Amino acid sequence: MSNQKKRNFQIEAFKHRVVVDPKYAEKTWKILEHAIHEIYNHNASGLSFEELYRNAYNMVLHKFGEKLYSGLVTTMTAHLKEISKSIEAAQGDLFLEELNRKWNDHNKALQMIRDILMYMDRTYIPNSRKTPVYELGLNLWRDNIIHSGKIQSRLLSTLLELVHRERTGEVIDRGLMRNTIKMLMDLGSSVYQDDFEKPFLEVSAEFYKVESQKFIECCDCGDYLKKAEIRLNEEIERIAHYLDVKSEAKITNVVEKEMIANHMTRLVHMENSGLVNMLLDDKYEDLGRMYNLFKRVPNGLSMIRDVMTSHLRETGKQLVTDAESSKDPVEFVQRLLDERDKYDKIICQAFSNAKTFQNALNSSFEYFINLNSRSPEFISLFVDDKLRKGLKGVSEEDVEIILDKVMMLFRYLQEKDVFEKYYKQHLAKRLLSGKTVSDDAERSLIVKLKTECGYQFTSKLEGMFTDMKTSQDTMQGFYANHPELAEGPTLVVQVLTTGSWPTQPTITCNLPTEMAALCEKFRSHYLGTHTGRRLSWQTNMGTADIKATFGKGQKHELNVSTYQMCVLMLFNNADRLSYKEIEQATEIPASDLKRCLQSMACVKGKNVLRKEPMSKDIGTDDAFFVNDKFTSKFYKVKIGTVVAQKESEPEKLETRQRVEEDRKPQIEAAIVRIMKSRRVLDHNNVIAEVTKQLQSRFLANPTEIKKRIESLIEREFLERDSDDRKLYRYLA
Amino acid sequence: MHKLGRSHRDKVQQFMTITGASEKAALQALKANLYKRYKDPYTDMILVDGITLLCNDIQVDPQDIVMLVLSWHMKASTMCEYSKQEFFTGLQALGIDSLGKFRERIPFMRSELKDEQKFGEIYNFAFGWAKEKGQKSLALDTAIGMWQLLFAEKQWPLVDHWCQFLQARHNKAISRDTWSQLLEFARTVDTSLSNYDAEGAWPYLIDEFVEYLNENGIISNAQSMTDWSKK
Repeated sequence: MSNQKKRNFQIEAFKHRVVVDPKYAEKTWKILEHAIHEIYNHNASGLSFEELYRNAYNMVLHKFGEKLYSGLVTTMTAHLKEISKSIEAAQGDLFLEELNRKWNDHNKALQMIRDILMYMDRTYIPNSRKTPVYELGLNLWRDNIIHSGKIQSRLLSTLLELVHRERTGEVIDRGLMRNTIKMLMDLGSSVYQDDFEKPFLEVSAEFYKVESQKFIECCDCGDYLKKAEIRLNEEIERIAHYLDVKSEAKITNVVEKEMIANHMTRLVHMENSGLVNMLLDDKYEDLGRMYNLFKRVPNGLSMIRDVMTSHLRETGKQLVTDAESSKDPVEFVQRLLDERDKYDKIICQAFSNAKTFQNALNSSFEYFINLNSRSPEFISLFVDDKLRKGLKGVSEEDVEIILDKVMMLFRYLQEKDVFEKYYKQHLAKRLLSGKTVSDDAERSLIVKLKTECGYQFTSKLEGMFTDMKTSQDTMQGFYANHPELAEGPTLVVQVLTTGSWPTQPTITCNLPTEMAALCEKFRSHYLGTHTGRRLSWQTNMGTADIKATFGKGQKHELNVSTYQMCVLMLFNNADRLSYKEIEQATEIPASDLKRCLQSMACVKGKNVLRKEPMSKDIGTDDAFFVNDKFTSKFYKVKIGTVVAQKESEPEKLETRQRVEEDRKPQIEAAIVRIMKSRRVLDHNNVIAEVTKQLQSRFLANPTEIKKRIESLIEREFLERDSDDRKLYRYLA
Repeated sequence: MHKLGRSHRDKVQQFMTITGASEKAALQALKANLYKRYKDPYTDMILVDGITLLCNDIQVDPQDIVMLVLSWHMKASTMCEYSKQEFFTGLQALGIDSLGKFRERIPFMRSELKDEQKFGEIYNFAFGWAKEKGQKSLALDTAIGMWQLLFAEKQWPLVDHWCQFLQARHNKAISRDTWSQLLEFARTVDTSLSNYDAEGAWPYLIDEFVEYLNENGIISNAQSMTDWSKK
């Protein structure tokens, strides 16, 4: 290595030749200014981009950015002022076209200018915090054209005029509109909003206010809604075609407010065409339209819901309290089901199955079904009718559908325990008379009730079915053991477990000797295999098939009740019997006997007996004979079915009393359960808890609960707290 | 220790001198004498005749409420009879060993009814005392009689309406709970029923009573007026 002097390398800036020409800046500017002019005059083709760029670059480099910038501003402004004049001069429809054309020109020019001045854009402008070229160009356009006195208002009114024309059905140049609006948007959102959108919304509001007023005077509700929907869709389409998408929500709000919200109440309650009429006539389309439109405004849906609810409750209440419809329970329930189906369909088809509407439907039904205290009874009768004959020939799926619908009504009942009582009675009659159409349907309903109410509700009902089956087996066993009886009358016995079946007072009448003997044999057979049990014959519930031969030899097989059999058999040994003789011989209770005789002597087609005198009612001095002239088309004649009837007033009262009595121990049990676990509880909470516990069976009456509490205090299950008389304490 | 009046002291002195007994024993003997005077000849109890005689001696009407107070002191289990134990308990509690003392204590017993606390105890005692032995409830007639007696002392303006109501609508025996709650009711609820709380866990009978008062226009407060306007 040689001994070299250390050299510091310095890299020096690459310098241009500095031309220190005082007129340099001015000369360069003039070149650029000229270029701008040419650009605006559509003579740009003759320019050299590279040269212009270099000139601009040099100016900025030599610290003449300021001059360049201000020159740009001045030049552009001057041009724009020219342009402005030419736009102002445009006549009528050409105004917008001219504006658009000039705007396009300006944009093109601006791009070129920006490209040329790009160096300034990147260096001088950020440094001196000035507006970039492109943006500057837009602002100058805005200030000199759009906000020029002569143009500003004319532009707005032209645009609004075009919108109005389109609203009144004319076809306008949408492309032109789109470009103009886009121009405003490009100039800045505040320009679009202040120079167009705000006034547009105001004018639109006014327009729709007037229009809606006009429509509402002359249209019915359905038509009005159609028109409103059309207008709404138009506005949405308009937005899509030539307005800023952000305006959509705002303009739709205007339409919604003016056309819907402001007239909501009047529309809904419009006579002959409002909501109620639509509901009555099942106008699904109109209702759907109303739903969709009202959904857009505050409280729209709740208004529909409320009107629907109050109408439904009113209709339901009338249905339920109408004396006429109460005469036929099956009809009564069918009408309820139909009403429910109707509204279900409406909610499904028109109200998009909205949960809130479903809830309104359910709460309304719950309200009015319970207005009629006989609803539980009637529903049971409906089911009874269906299971006896209504479901004959119906497919399995359809059976399920009907039963499910019945269950829906059942759920609405507050007094489910009343239903249970009637259902038991009716089921008993069905089973014992063998009159059920489908065993499967019966079982299916029991299962549904069990799912709904729990095992306890249905355990006794199931017990009834079991008894029927067991009885069959017992009968088989009986005849197997007594083959000698196969010759005589056939006995069919149903052995009923007392707890499961509805309680009946036991009235035994005198059976004909043949039957009495047979029954005794059965009794001994049964008690032989079931020691420790007690049997009592329920002669008021049986039936008999008797072969009868009448005066002219006509033979018939009569299907009668046990009582009727007892009466008829007497005539084997006597031609004439007085009422009193019959009563004495059979020992049938008076009211039953009268009914029994009436059905055999006074009913056309079933008059196997003749009565003297021939009055409709049975008197205690009447006399009876076999009707030798009895005729019937059929060989088998059915007299006297034990059909489940709507209860008479006294029967109804009795059932209700029994229900009330049954409730007392249930209430007490609930009170004891609650107090046992809580130990100490205040009065109001006791009431609340008890009510809640019993809700699934019936609505507990607070007064009744209070009485039960007092009874429990009396029997020393509970006591009042010595300091706070409202507090109860459980006594172990 | 009893304060002995002059003549009394002499008697006791005499007794003590003659028998040589202590003062306490002497007093006991005097009490026993009283008991002997009233007790029934055939049973070891004071029965109706004895009570009548006693009332005579102390110059008090047998229907006088003071007899209830006396029974309360005795912790008597049932009316119209006192067991020996009960009689002595009463005498002891009241500090009585002679008829003179007895008569002196009457005004005191009357004053006890004015004491809020004691009245309550006496009132509640009356239920058990007035009812039939072995019954759980008090017969209506007896109850009404007792109420009229008791509420003559402690003024309750609604007592007559209450009794009328019971005779018209209830016609059954009165339970203990109803009995005791009635006093609460009389004490806390004012006569215009303005502070009657329907959710106040009052016995059902009292609720019915309020309804009865409203229905018959006996109470005319804002409550009942709105009810009428609904009719």
